[in-house]
Amino acid sequence: MHNKASLALAGAIMVCAGFAVYAASSWPWKAALFPIAIGIPVFCLAAAEVIWSLVGSGDSERAMDFEMSADVPAPVAMRRTVLTVAWMVGFFAAIALIGFPYAVPLFVFLYLRLQGREGWIFSLLFGAAVWLFFYLVFDRLLHLPFPAGWIF
Amino acid sequence: MIEAFFEGLLLVLQWKAFAFMLLGIVLGFWVGLLPGLGGTTTLALMLPFIYAMQPIEGFAFLLGMHAVVATTGDITSVLFGVPDEGTTAATILDGHAMAKKGEAGRALGAVLASSLVGALVGAIALALAVPVVRPLVLSFGSPELFMIAIVGLAFIASLSASGARGMMRGFLVGGLGLMVATIGQDPQAGVARYTFDVLYLWNGIDLVPVLIGIFAIPEIIDLAVRGTSIAGELPKGSLNKGAFEGVKDTFRHFWLTIRCSLIGTFIGIMPGLGGAVSQWMAYGHAAQSARTDEERRGFGQGDVRGVLGPGAANNSKEGGALIPTVAFGVPGSSSMAILLGGFFVLGLAPGPDMLTKHLTVTFSMVWTIVLANVITVVACFLLLNHLARLTTVRGQLLIPVIVVLIFIGAYTGNNHYGDIIVMLVFGAVGWLMVVGGWPRAPFVLGLVLGKIAENYLYISVARYETAWLTRPIVLVLIALAIAVILYPLIQSRRSRMKEAARHA
Repeated sequence: MHNKASLALAGAIMVCAGFAVYAASSWPWKAALFPIAIGIPVFCLAAAEVIWSLVGSGDSERAMDFEMSADVPAPVAMRRTVLTVAWMVGFFAAIALIGFPYAVPLFVFLYLRLQGREGWIFSLLFGAAVWLFFYLVFDRLLHLPFPAGWIF
Repeated sequence: MIEAFFEGLLLVLQWKAFAFMLLGIVLGFWVGLLPGLGGTTTLALMLPFIYAMQPIEGFAFLLGMHAVVATTGDITSVLFGVPDEGTTAATILDGHAMAKKGEAGRALGAVLASSLVGALVGAIALALAVPVVRPLVLSFGSPELFMIAIVGLAFIASLSASGARGMMRGFLVGGLGLMVATIGQDPQAGVARYTFDVLYLWNGIDLVPVLIGIFAIPEIIDLAVRGTSIAGELPKGSLNKGAFEGVKDTFRHFWLTIRCSLIGTFIGIMPGLGGAVSQWMAYGHAAQSARTDEERRGFGQGDVRGVLGPGAANNSKEGGALIPTVAFGVPGSSSMAILLGGFFVLGLAPGPDMLTKHLTVTFSMVWTIVLANVITVVACFLLLNHLARLTTVRGQLLIPVIVVLIFIGAYTGNNHYGDIIVMLVFGAVGWLMVVGGWPRAPFVLGLVLGKIAENYLYISVARYETAWLTRPIVLVLIALAIAVILYPLIQSRRSRMKEAARHA
């Protein structure tokens, strides 16, 4: 997993950097100077990382950063990851379709009820409380402009 | 001058100014806790309210609010791993790691105490530097500012991972950050770069959704995967200890805190570099303070020094950023640009007058920063145990609330759905980075520095051609960048040799 993620990331960066340099080559020098000056070393470093991931031995280098929990079996972790991402994408779809004011309580209620397996009343009350917070702080106090969704 | 110094204090302590400062603190406190809504947005929202105020009251209100946003923003970073804005992201790496180990109280104690030390250093610097800062700022032209950006990037890229491959990845993601920063309309020729005919991309990628995506989404996924609270399964009562330990940590590593405060102040003074740069540079310096490779590997896993450095720099930069704003009318950051607007609203002209005719107003700003930070830190300490207990709330309850907050936080970048897409895309990138063991810090710094570095590089080349490389300060900064890159390699080699000698 460790190495596959590195390979995927480095491969994607290599492709992006290659495209960035290619696209910049047709621009005036003022616009192209920085992207080319950065794109070429990034392409080379990404290519080196791809080669290292493909032929190198087990990856022992660690970043000065947090690591995903290793206590959960890999298939369970992957299933929960996919589920979480699906919830977030679903929330975004709900925002686009019905707008923030309706999507917020609906998402909180459904998440608690279906994913958290909380009771009906608790889920409803919690959803309503989050909506109230959202309405008072972001709408009434800060006046953030939330557009209507595509449906209503 | 001494007289003006104390007169400034008395002016802030007048009941009306003090009441406005308290109001600002309360607003800043709560807005700081909301992801995505940082000090800049709050200042912009509150600027119209100062029209009817006197200068001292107006600045007490605005600065009181602005001074505490950074402190409470760090609290969200520590507790939930969700950055408030660019200026509080570096605290996540070790602060949230500590929260996950059940040391939220200690991390909060450390971040609050170091914030207070940082704010005091920044305020003292503002008070002392006003007469001497002019030659310093004027000696730094575009070439020097470009090199500071490069040193900052080299600093964090070389220190954010161990070994040659780790360093290579550091530079790779740093470069990626610089590349992402080139998206949008180019400032020199007006070319739409990598916009694919999408209007949203013409203004470039906003920092807030990227930061939220890259830091918060992997944390949310990890919380969902673990299926526990943030602090995991901990014995009852273990969270309440440690806040005082965090304060003691600040004094245990006092010189580190002071050095990071000075880094914050210095970066704050430099126009355009901003708070995010100062926090990451302070984090890099804190990591550099590790004596061995083993010790350095502890950074990102919950080393308290990784909290102290960014915490101190985050608050000290405010005093620093006020120096060019007050003395020359040159704002060091976007929030200072808004504050500059406040000067005009209140009928004051920044510049030499602020150091002569309106010196008491300038000193009242120093006192506002000091008092606002002291009041906030004391208030936070009273609430600390309750705040730390949030890390024991079941993940299933926290996740929907955090998801709602990060979506709204990202959306506030440009009030556009594109911000949410950017957050999700960079959430995926951040997750891959964490899973692959790549450092995220250099990417953020690259993104923050991209536009600044490009502008300064272009001006340097256009104005001096290649001669800018031979300017004395540039040469010193080039040497510093090389030293910063070589230092961890030499240190690592020394550790290996020592290890080999011990086994022999």
